[in-house]
Amino acid sequence: MEIFNLEIAVHNFGPLLAGLMLTIELTLVVIALSLVFGLLVALGGMSRFAPLRWLVKVYVEAIRGTPLLLQLIYVYYVLPEIGIRLNSFTAGVLALTLNYSAYLSEVYRGGIQAIAIGQHDAAAALGMTRTLAMRRIILPQAVRIVIPPLGNYFISLFKDTALCSVVSIQEVIFTAQILAARNFQYFTLYTVAGFMYFAVSFPAARFVAYLERLTKRGYRRRRA
Amino acid sequence: MSDRPSDRPMLEIEGLHKYFGDNHVLRGIDLKIAAGEVVCIIGPSGSGKSTLLRCINHLEVAEKGRIRVDGQLAYCTEKDGDVRPLSNRAISAVRAQLGMVFQQFNLFPHLTAMGNIIEAPVHVLRKPKELARRRGRELLAQVGLADKENSYPEELSGGQQQRVAIARALAMDPKAMLLDEVTSALDPELVAEVLAAVRDLAARGMTMLIVTHEMNFARQVSSRVIFMDRGVIVEEGTPARIFGAPREPRTRDFLRTVVDR
Repeated sequence: MEIFNLEIAVHNFGPLLAGLMLTIELTLVVIALSLVFGLLVALGGMSRFAPLRWLVKVYVEAIRGTPLLLQLIYVYYVLPEIGIRLNSFTAGVLALTLNYSAYLSEVYRGGIQAIAIGQHDAAAALGMTRTLAMRRIILPQAVRIVIPPLGNYFISLFKDTALCSVVSIQEVIFTAQILAARNFQYFTLYTVAGFMYFAVSFPAARFVAYLERLTKRGYRRRRA
Repeated sequence: MSDRPSDRPMLEIEGLHKYFGDNHVLRGIDLKIAAGEVVCIIGPSGSGKSTLLRCINHLEVAEKGRIRVDGQLAYCTEKDGDVRPLSNRAISAVRAQLGMVFQQFNLFPHLTAMGNIIEAPVHVLRKPKELARRRGRELLAQVGLADKENSYPEELSGGQQQRVAIARALAMDPKAMLLDEVTSALDPELVAEVLAAVRDLAARGMTMLIVTHEMNFARQVSSRVIFMDRGVIVEEGTPARIFGAPREPRTRDFLRTVVDR
């Protein structure tokens, strides 16, 4: 049985760290894109234009009803058959964004619908159009509600990027696989990889918990 | 400062009908309110009072009937007998001329008292922020909350929140105010401060349509009282007449149950 080989760990730390950086980069890009796209999907799902609502419904259910792994494979290996050839990073970003936007749209929708009907009434009575009321009154309140669940989704996104190893993005897992194929030090390499994920996601989870406490405090004056 | 009701009609409601499904909530309401008039609507719950107010600023859409605000046909246009609804933007423009105060205050919790007040003047009327703030301070002083400018709604009592809501509606310089049971959600000891703010408005000549369960207040503040029951206006008249010598049996029955004498 192999044991943890410190020399191997130190020797391969550089490449694994480079993989972690790519993982983080991938995560941040997908966060930025899915924050925006998820909101658009949520708003589309609440549109007064029925075909748009149906389209959103089909998209969200299709995404939620199939594995992320399949979606990744589809984007990277199936799309080229219809002439859409993406490099691995772009394919990973696209599949993850499509996947997470569907889930985030549900979070947004919940947040928007949690705002009391009286808020819509008050905004309308003041002469605000639906769009203005959404932008100035409803969304600012909904954002506060959705921050904790969004944060939790982003932490799982960070870990789900590991699946991108199947589309040859050189993130942590892919790097570990390559290295292990050379020296067979599975235990050491995957343990280091695991610690790398944990070192990021644990503090991130603490931070989300802190935000959750913060958002539950209500709206009050900041006192010095 | 006009203080006498004039002949200029500020709100005109004509043949208004509203259904909630099979429930015929408003069964042909005709009502004219002159500039400067203070009209209180009383009646049992479920009589359609609040629905009427909500129809007047189109928060509920009436199936039939006309509403005019300051002589202008609101929410629809009529051309060669063809009635068409206005665009959403045009509907919002009519609403901006009417102030509404709700039973549940409905202040925006993420904005301070001042933020609540200047929100619509700045973003709907495109008033410069500083100008809106100056007016906001006047209005907060008018409702007795000059020191609460930077407080968030949840830091205020119900009575204070409702007074901010009144100031918020006034900040739009409305042609008329619609008050929907503005004291019903308040603890008894907080009712007086809100009623005082409304009385002050009446004294300033604001045109108001008030749905209320406060009979003494209705008697003191209104130039006219309307009794509604089951979707119709049963009786209307001066407060002295309605409270002193109601003609309709339904009015008499209602007043017997609510006026403790």
